[in-house]
Amino acid sequence: MPVLKDKELRIVGFLCNWCSYGGADTAGVARATQPTDLRIIRVPCTGRVDPLFVLKALFGGADGVLVSGCHPRDCHYSVGNYYARRRLEVIKRFLPILGIDDRRFEYTWVSASEGQRWQEVVTDFTARIHKLGQAPRLADASPMLKIAELALSSLHALGSNLSAPLDELKAAIKAKLPDLECVIGWQKGYDGAHAVPLFMKTPEDVDKLIWGPLNVMNPAVYLPDFKGRKIGIVVKGCDSRSVVELLQEKLINREDVTIFSLPCEGTLDMGRVNEKLGRYTKIDKVNFDEASVYITADGKEHRFCITEYAQGKCYGCVTPGAVLADVVFGKPVPVSPGKFTPPELAMLDSMSLEERMGFWKAQMDRCIRCYACRNACPMCVCRDYCISDSRNPHWLDQEATPENKLFFQTIHAVHLAGRCTGCGECQRACPVGIPILALRQHIARTVSELFDEYKSGMNQNAVPPLLTYATEEKNIHERDL
Amino acid sequence: MRIGVFICHCGSNIGGTVDCAKVAETASHYPDVAYVDDPMYTCAEPGQAAIEEAIKKERLDGVVVASCTPRMHEPTFRKTVERAGLNPYMFEMANIREHVSWIGKDKEANTNKAAELVLMAVEKLRHNRPLVPKSFDITKKVLIIGGGVAGIQAALDCAEGGVPVILVEREATIGGKMAKLDKTFPTVDCSACILGPKMVDVAQHPLITLYAYSEVEDISGYVGNFNVKIRKKTPYVDWSKCTGCGACTEKCPSKNTPDSFNELMGKTTAITIAFPQAIPKKAVINAPYCRKLQSGKCGVCAKICPTGAINYTMEDEIISEDVGSIIAATGYDLVDWSVYEEYGGGKYPDVITALAYERLLNASGPTGGHIKRPSDGKEPKNIVFIQCVGSRDRSIGRPYCSAFCCMYTAKQAVLTKDHLPDSQSHIFYMDIRAAGKLYDEFTRRAMEEYGTNYIRGRVSAVYPDGNGQYVVMGADTLLGEPIEIKADLVVLSVGIEASAGAPALAEKLRISYDSYGFFMESHVKLKPVETNTAGVFLAGCCQGPKDIPASVAQGSAAAAKVLDLFSHEKLQSNPQIANVDILRCVDCKKCIMCCPFGAIEEVSVRGVNKAQVIETVCQGCGICVATCPQGAIQLSHSTDNQILAEVNALCQS
Repeated sequence: MPVLKDKELRIVGFLCNWCSYGGADTAGVARATQPTDLRIIRVPCTGRVDPLFVLKALFGGADGVLVSGCHPRDCHYSVGNYYARRRLEVIKRFLPILGIDDRRFEYTWVSASEGQRWQEVVTDFTARIHKLGQAPRLADASPMLKIAELALSSLHALGSNLSAPLDELKAAIKAKLPDLECVIGWQKGYDGAHAVPLFMKTPEDVDKLIWGPLNVMNPAVYLPDFKGRKIGIVVKGCDSRSVVELLQEKLINREDVTIFSLPCEGTLDMGRVNEKLGRYTKIDKVNFDEASVYITADGKEHRFCITEYAQGKCYGCVTPGAVLADVVFGKPVPVSPGKFTPPELAMLDSMSLEERMGFWKAQMDRCIRCYACRNACPMCVCRDYCISDSRNPHWLDQEATPENKLFFQTIHAVHLAGRCTGCGECQRACPVGIPILALRQHIARTVSELFDEYKSGMNQNAVPPLLTYATEEKNIHERDL
Repeated sequence: MRIGVFICHCGSNIGGTVDCAKVAETASHYPDVAYVDDPMYTCAEPGQAAIEEAIKKERLDGVVVASCTPRMHEPTFRKTVERAGLNPYMFEMANIREHVSWIGKDKEANTNKAAELVLMAVEKLRHNRPLVPKSFDITKKVLIIGGGVAGIQAALDCAEGGVPVILVEREATIGGKMAKLDKTFPTVDCSACILGPKMVDVAQHPLITLYAYSEVEDISGYVGNFNVKIRKKTPYVDWSKCTGCGACTEKCPSKNTPDSFNELMGKTTAITIAFPQAIPKKAVINAPYCRKLQSGKCGVCAKICPTGAINYTMEDEIISEDVGSIIAATGYDLVDWSVYEEYGGGKYPDVITALAYERLLNASGPTGGHIKRPSDGKEPKNIVFIQCVGSRDRSIGRPYCSAFCCMYTAKQAVLTKDHLPDSQSHIFYMDIRAAGKLYDEFTRRAMEEYGTNYIRGRVSAVYPDGNGQYVVMGADTLLGEPIEIKADLVVLSVGIEASAGAPALAEKLRISYDSYGFFMESHVKLKPVETNTAGVFLAGCCQGPKDIPASVAQGSAAAAKVLDLFSHEKLQSNPQIANVDILRCVDCKKCIMCCPFGAIEEVSVRGVNKAQVIETVCQGCGICVATCPQGAIQLSHSTDNQILAEVNALCQS
């Protein structure tokens, strides 16, 4: 339904039944005059408010969204608003990366007796939204394509890792193989420039195992399928974080999994490698030296220096060695501590809200809805029931609009909040090269800022911050409203 | 679907600022809407009858009423549609009174907003499913935690109503704070004389099982079916043999043991019976002061005990009980007043709490009922009472009124005059709060008949004058001048807070508590006895400061709630709960981690572990739904699809 032209804007409220909905009733009983824009959806508890409802409303054309619940400590269900506070704060900080002004979303606490406060909240929030005016729509944004400048300085030395003790690893895998159903690793693909997954069941299979900058794929994605079966996996440092996260989420059992690892000095960004190779018919050979990979295609040799052609995530890598492993050989390269903003994220950070919206519009226009991003994600565990296929719950519809496509990415990113280890498989798998990792990186950065530098996939016994709460939040400060 | 929409005028309450007929006309074009009407009063009998008739005549399978808040009449209209044969959950309400007609006079905007709220309700209703409550058996037995006067009253009322009671008391005797009081306001009758018989009734009632010197260790389960683990702390005395003769207490050589029952106003022995009327009247050894337990040398009590009840190697025991309901009556403790440096911070022996003063007044107290100064045993002449020490004080985080200090101070002033006719009492007060039956009259008597000197103002300092007296410096805010009184004894009306351990117990009970540790009632005005955990009720000061009559009343009220609950053969669960789609569940246990009620368990379904909601425990908050990324867990009546339908009714670009 359209809003009253020139009079109202579209403002949606999610109010908990026990406190804030009662507070709005109290305001009504007291005949406390309020602007008419707000439409209230009654929910049992702010803890019920999936942050995606907020995004759904904003994507659907809401100019403002307000969530209100019981004051901390007064929750009807004891702790629902504590969970909500964490989730809603994360979502509020997520909005700008999509190009949405975060002032359009607010959450607050109003008790059932605070009719007057409710009147003030509605009046102030409505005034705020009117000041901001009608929300810009993705459909109306002017598309903008921009490519991130890759940072060439890295937190540790990048290289092709020729010295990794692969033979020792192979011997160790062979020794363990009788106890394991199979061991997942990498092997040479259809040509020497591409590695593909390897499932080692016999010693001959183990001989096919390769190690080096071509091992871009994250083998942890296969692990949940093997839950309850004895399995081995060869991991890079970043892959090990996915394994840890899977363990933490009990999607695999520690006793079933044997983790093998060698140190990693970086992996190639195959997107840029292929771009430089251009059109070719055949890879003739692939050679390595300490710093580079030499790929000869159609008789022409190309040199790919790892420092120049590493995946974006490798530049900020702080886990060249596995976080958790049973069998490890070699010593990981030293990491120099420092702040690192992933290049795609740095690019988005430098843009205005308007530019970001235009950026995503242009990028999502290119999305072919293949869901390779989802399939490559080791933490994507809905499997056959992904809402992108089932359409139930009906978060998305079939129409291939940039809104629907971006909303899928948003759902994925929000589902991964506090869980994504930044392995970057979503972005690597994207056949059209959309930098979707930036959305996950942004949420990971937010989670880290809010919750004591929390990094997912580092400690299998850690409690993910969005699955718990604190009665007093150190870094979440209530805003006046 | 065939949906009927009823737009209520509510007289002029809605009709005055909303064009109800126009809203009805607009709604008639909404999807699946088969019938619209705009009655004058929908909730009145003719209004409800019209809905029933329309359901039958128009073969409606869903109803939307746009009227007042659903918090008011949703239950009413659910019954209405049920009478006409619909499932009560095939009903939705749009709040066009409190949220529309009463908050603005712009008729055009109101009418448009009302129509939109009706659209949201219609869109949600299109996703509603009939819900049926499940019924389950109950254990008709109640656990009462705390044996103060509130707990005692609740226990007696429940037992008289035929319900077996488990009464758990942390101390060695029941009676709570009331047992320490000398007299009670406003009648000045003896506390022990009115409480004592009730305590005896508890001991003698065949349906009451008393666990004194015990604490609740763990609580699991849900309304109708709780399991409670009770820790019986070891008294080092076999209570089945102890006759309460007191021979042990006479012979115990460790006579320097702090007497906590007497609020440290005297010393007692390491083996004690708290007071002559204690229930149960059994001896307890205070381990840190017992020579035998500390050094192994002594054993006098074991030698003297005629029944051989002393057992130095006795250990705590854990008992398991199944109950259907729980009443928390854990009472209060005094605020730590030693933070008040200006009153000596606990350093001066003659600056005492009012509760300690009760023990000095009491005939079975350490002074045998003679008012004597703790420092030198002399009778005081000038006694100063200071009100609101640790109450109504934001600076120490205790902004609330402790509710009964004004009254007991008046009583203490009266009693002081009775004991020591030559004495003079002075009371420094902030406001006199005497809002109870016969309370103001009583305070007047304290002033007029007993000559108590009431001074409105605060005390800035209390310090010894070096001659055995204390200088009390304050301000008389009515006269606007400073005032100084020489006092022999200073009695502080120390405020109260929830008893130690209350928050930890609240966690076990899964009930809320406020920032002072007081347990939260379900609704401040309308549900002051219930908590938000079904089957758990509150009585007495654990819910907030209150005096004896109010504690007794709440004890009875809690008992009535228990009897009401147990009057049903079976309980019905609220069907608005979460349920798991086992095909989607990947057993990540995130829902189990987040559920504040322990309402989700892991079960094996054909060899694969899945989450399962315990229907009777789930309270329907939906935290799990927002947690489960798979959408495998949904809250009936607030499913993702239902909320999305409402969002989409408003926002569909």
